[in-house]
Order: sequence, then C-alpha cells, then structure tokens
Amino acid sequence: MCKWCTKHGAGKKWYLNSKNYMANEIGGEDHYRDYLTEQWMNFEQVYIRKIKGFSSIGLGYKLKMPIIGKVLRSAAEKMIHSEKGHRNPVRADGHFGQVIPLEEAKLIMGELAAEPVIANYCMCRWMQRGDKERVCINFGVLSEVIEKLPRFIPKERTARVDREEAIKILEENNKKGYIQSVWFQPVPYINAICSCESPECGGLRLRNDFGINVVYKSEYIIQLDQDKCEGCKQCVSSCQFSAIRYIPSQKRVIIDYNKCFGCGKCRDACKFDALKLIPREEYPGFTGEY
Amino acid sequence: MSKTKIHIDYSKCGEKGEIDPRDCSKCLKVCDPCVFLMHETVGAKEENIYDPQNWRITAVWPSLCMRCLKCVDICPEKAITIKW
Repeated sequence: MCKWCTKHGAGKKWYLNSKNYMANEIGGEDHYRDYLTEQWMNFEQVYIRKIKGFSSIGLGYKLKMPIIGKVLRSAAEKMIHSEKGHRNPVRADGHFGQVIPLEEAKLIMGELAAEPVIANYCMCRWMQRGDKERVCINFGVLSEVIEKLPRFIPKERTARVDREEAIKILEENNKKGYIQSVWFQPVPYINAICSCESPECGGLRLRNDFGINVVYKSEYIIQLDQDKCEGCKQCVSSCQFSAIRYIPSQKRVIIDYNKCFGCGKCRDACKFDALKLIPREEYPGFTGEY
Repeated sequence: MSKTKIHIDYSKCGEKGEIDPRDCSKCLKVCDPCVFLMHETVGAKEENIYDPQNWRITAVWPSLCMRCLKCVDICPEKAITIKW
C-alpha cells in the first residue's frame, strides 16, 4: 500500500476508507464547500496563475534550470500534497489522486461515494482540447458546488445521476479506453472519480512529462501469461502509457513495468485472458513504486 | 537543444480579435502533444465567465512541442508563430 493508505486508510487502501467520503467526519461540509467553490470558480486559471512568482507556463524548461528547478519541484510537490489547515484553493493545494482499476471504481460508486452524485464535463479535456465530454463523476459536497457553476454541466439536462447510472457511465468510459482515477480534493476528502486520457489529463501530464506526483500508479500491476498470449496486439493499442509492445520474434507482447500504471485497460482488451492485475506488493522489485 | 518559443498574437485571437477561442480551438485539436491551453484570463469574475473577452489560448507546455508547425498552418487568423 502507498503512503497515503498508511496515513488515511485506517488499515485499508485510502480510497476504501469510508471516513474519507464523509465531509462532516473529517473537517466539516462548510469548510470543504468554501474551498471547493473557490477552487472550481478559478480552475481554468490554475496553470497560468503565478504561484510564488512562477506559473506553469514552460514548466518543462523551468524544472530543468539548475538549483531553481529542484526548488520548484519540491515546492510544487509540497503544495500538491499539503495537509495544512490553511490551504489555498486557487492553487488546488492538497488535490491529487491515484489510478484505480474499473472494479474498484465501481465499488466506490456502489458503496462509498456520498450523495448527491453528478456527471459533469471533464475540465482537462475542455482546457486542452476544447471538447466538452461528460465523463467526470463527482459526489458529496463537490456535486453541490459544481451544480451552481453552469459551465461544467450540460445545458437543459440535470447533472445528477443515481449510483447505477454513474456505474454505467464508468463502464462506458472504460470501454472507450479511459483510465479511472480517484481524487483527494483536498486531502483527505475524496469526491471525484475521473475517466482520464493522456495527454489531456492535467494530472497525467504533470506525472508523465514532468515527474510530479499528482497522480499515483495504482495498487496493482499487470501480469502476462506468456502461454496464453496469441500476439493479437489488442492490448498494445489500449495502453495509454506506452507500456506494452509487440515483438515479432516471440509472437507476443512485452511489458515495461516501469511505465505500467496498473489501470487494467489492456486486461479488458485481451480476448485470451492472458493479462491480469496483481497487487503491486506481490511483484518483487516493484513494491513501493507508486 | 534550444527552447521552443510559441507566440500567440492576441490582437488576432481572443481579447481584441474577431474570433472567440472557444468556438475555434483548432490549434488545441490539431496538436498531438497538447501544448495549448484554453483558459479564462487571471482575475476574470465568475459573472463574466461567458464573455469572449475573458478567454484566451496560451502555449503552456512549449517544452513538449515537436515543432511540426501544424498549428501555424491551421490557425485561420495566422496568429501563431513558433521560433527556436
């Protein structure tokens, strides 16, 4: 289990601890309502806003600067993982998440998520591609906040969905190849399951391209049964992290475990039952690599 | 390798230009590494959120630009210039 499980999991994984879904148990609904309203009203400005003199514009070059780059990286990580009482919502302090396989997303939706539940437009895809796609599931206090900001919800349609509808949306997204992820917003309050796509997703962008831990790899890692693999390459096209490659000489795929996020998209694409997810802890050499 | 500098002329796109970046967004769609970001200008008020004057496109991740120049070609206002 990752360090956030140890900290906020009460013996379980952090996102399976029911307390983290109950705003009143961990800081109060009013506190989170104020924070989330401020955060979501300014969400589209987060990359261009100057934080301590630095905006995210040209972040790749800034991180490569000697000394300043290192300071910047550690300041960004500190901000993202902040658990302080006075967190700044316009910087999205304390907002980070983890990739989860579909079955756990369904479990959260079915049993843990707080009411009300809404399906709204993905912010990342809107900002980076100009597309409005209704793939994000939010719940609890965040739903009430987003409902009041009409640019995130479809016109002439209610944003609210029930648990079964939300699970159906997650299944459809999984079929399309989107990656499920669960989010602290702010830590330790959990109120969103996203269906992410790389490179649009802000979290995956910062993680994959700049090495900042906004999204953690899942608690699982993929395992290939070489005897069952027929070399159909379906899994290769389903992987958003370029972690799978087909090698003609062996007529099977090979996996780059350093790149695997354990999302399970390849497993769902495999017709021969050759891929399965196993807990990361059971994989020697990859324990603790989130 | 030299830095890639992506400049957007805001007299042609957004703010003072004829085109609302939210309707166009051609550069966002054509870019494979997703270098561009469409956003509200900092300090825009919630009640003015639909005002096209408050929206612009910024090349936010220039270090990931692969210099294919597709955005330069596709921009209807020829507002994008790239140098390296």
